[in-house]
Amino acid sequence: MHEFNWGLLIVVYLFLGGLSAGLFFAAGLADYMTVDDKPVYARVARMGAFLAPWPVAIGSGLLILDLGNWYRFYKLFIHFRWESPMSIGSYLLTIFTVIAFLYLFAWLTADERQWLFSKVPATWKQVHRLNVDLSSWRGKIAMVGFPFSIGVGIYTGVLLGAVSARPFWNTNLVAQMFLFSALSSGAAALMLAMVLNKKSPAEKHEIKFLVTLDVVFISLELFIILPYLIHGQLSSLAVKQALGLILGGPYTFVFWGPFLVMGLLVPLAIEVYELAPNIFKGHEFHGSRNLALTAAGLVLIGGFLLRYIFVYAGQVSSFHQMGMLH
Amino acid sequence: MAMKKKRYALVIDSRKCINCKACVVACKAENNVPIGNFRNRINEERKGEYPKLSINFEPEQCHHCADPSCVRVCPTGASWQRKDGIVLVNYDECIGCRYCMVACPYDARYFNEAEGVVDKCTLCRHRVDKGDIPACVETCPSKVRVFGDLEDTTSRVHELLSTRRYRVKEPQTGNGPQLYYLL
Repeated sequence: MHEFNWGLLIVVYLFLGGLSAGLFFAAGLADYMTVDDKPVYARVARMGAFLAPWPVAIGSGLLILDLGNWYRFYKLFIHFRWESPMSIGSYLLTIFTVIAFLYLFAWLTADERQWLFSKVPATWKQVHRLNVDLSSWRGKIAMVGFPFSIGVGIYTGVLLGAVSARPFWNTNLVAQMFLFSALSSGAAALMLAMVLNKKSPAEKHEIKFLVTLDVVFISLELFIILPYLIHGQLSSLAVKQALGLILGGPYTFVFWGPFLVMGLLVPLAIEVYELAPNIFKGHEFHGSRNLALTAAGLVLIGGFLLRYIFVYAGQVSSFHQMGMLH
Repeated sequence: MAMKKKRYALVIDSRKCINCKACVVACKAENNVPIGNFRNRINEERKGEYPKLSINFEPEQCHHCADPSCVRVCPTGASWQRKDGIVLVNYDECIGCRYCMVACPYDARYFNEAEGVVDKCTLCRHRVDKGDIPACVETCPSKVRVFGDLEDTTSRVHELLSTRRYRVKEPQTGNGPQLYYLL
């Protein structure tokens, strides 16, 4: 019987890495959006910048713990193997994490920076020299960070898609699917954080921005998943059989029910319901707090389930038949 | 003296296999394979109902592919291939990420829990380098397995592959497997 070499820790890591990528992307985008040269989404950008580095930092930690010899993780960084997606990915991940923390630092107010550096002993002069105002650098850091955030989002899919031995993964659509799922998870997480922030309640135009962003990403993801299913059905027998895992096989329910309907179509419907009166009839945007929370929560669960389904079903799929008599 | 190029391979005449698993046992004893793990196995396939039935035993292990996907995906270079084709794991460099196990189309690798590294068939390199043959080949009572150098035109494997029809498993993965199954 086939065993699972990659388990739940990998699923969680793929989800958290994508989440950070999406958060950074949404934050950077919000920073660039201006109305009459005024940064109307600055609070969204600040919240995104504050959240972005943590999931990927936690995820990388989990990844290291999943290794057979966790203390050997440094060996990833004394080799570079361009043929190995994991090697490329570990560098991407590290650079992205550094940029994400830098971006967070650039969004700290002067008071917050003073507080942070007050924790550092006064004798550590070299550290205190880092207490600089980077707020004018935000746009530049975001610009440099964009390709790396896209890179991290897409790499989690490439990691799986590059494995020719697993027909469930080995299509050129998995990378984009993971990327759009990552971006939409990021937008949803940001929406969740904005709505839950009681101290300074989210304003309608901010929620509208995030809802719009999420609708775009969910739609893109949906139109990757459809061709994935159609191509797979029209592909070689091994790919068709691999797709059987979600078309009648053990992962059918979790794919169609919790993931596709609850994690993708329902939040899409909620967000369209929120946006449509505004777009078609010119009514004021609802900005319902509960609907935003529901949609965002479902998107996050859906993003997690997508990775769960792919990591597990992919490992079951194979060209190889190993028969054992009983 | 110039070294002659070598390419080791196994030719398997699975119709001779009686599923005695002597090769599995010999491998475990020779290479100290942990309990619960195996470097080779015998695939079993039964077809039909009595009285029209057939049974097929097919030994399998690492195919020591020409273009091994396990070596390609390894992030540290711990999975590597010798010039003579033998695919090996450098245990000191292996971080235990198991990407190679996921990438192997033949499920030929296992995870050594105690050491935290991936391990696999080495074609008994410690024997082969002394001019000996692998333990599984030596022990096989029905002479299913033939080990040799494909570059050596006088070798038995060269003769078999020149004169007999054969197949390799899952060539569509592009790995170029080097276990040859005679038809």
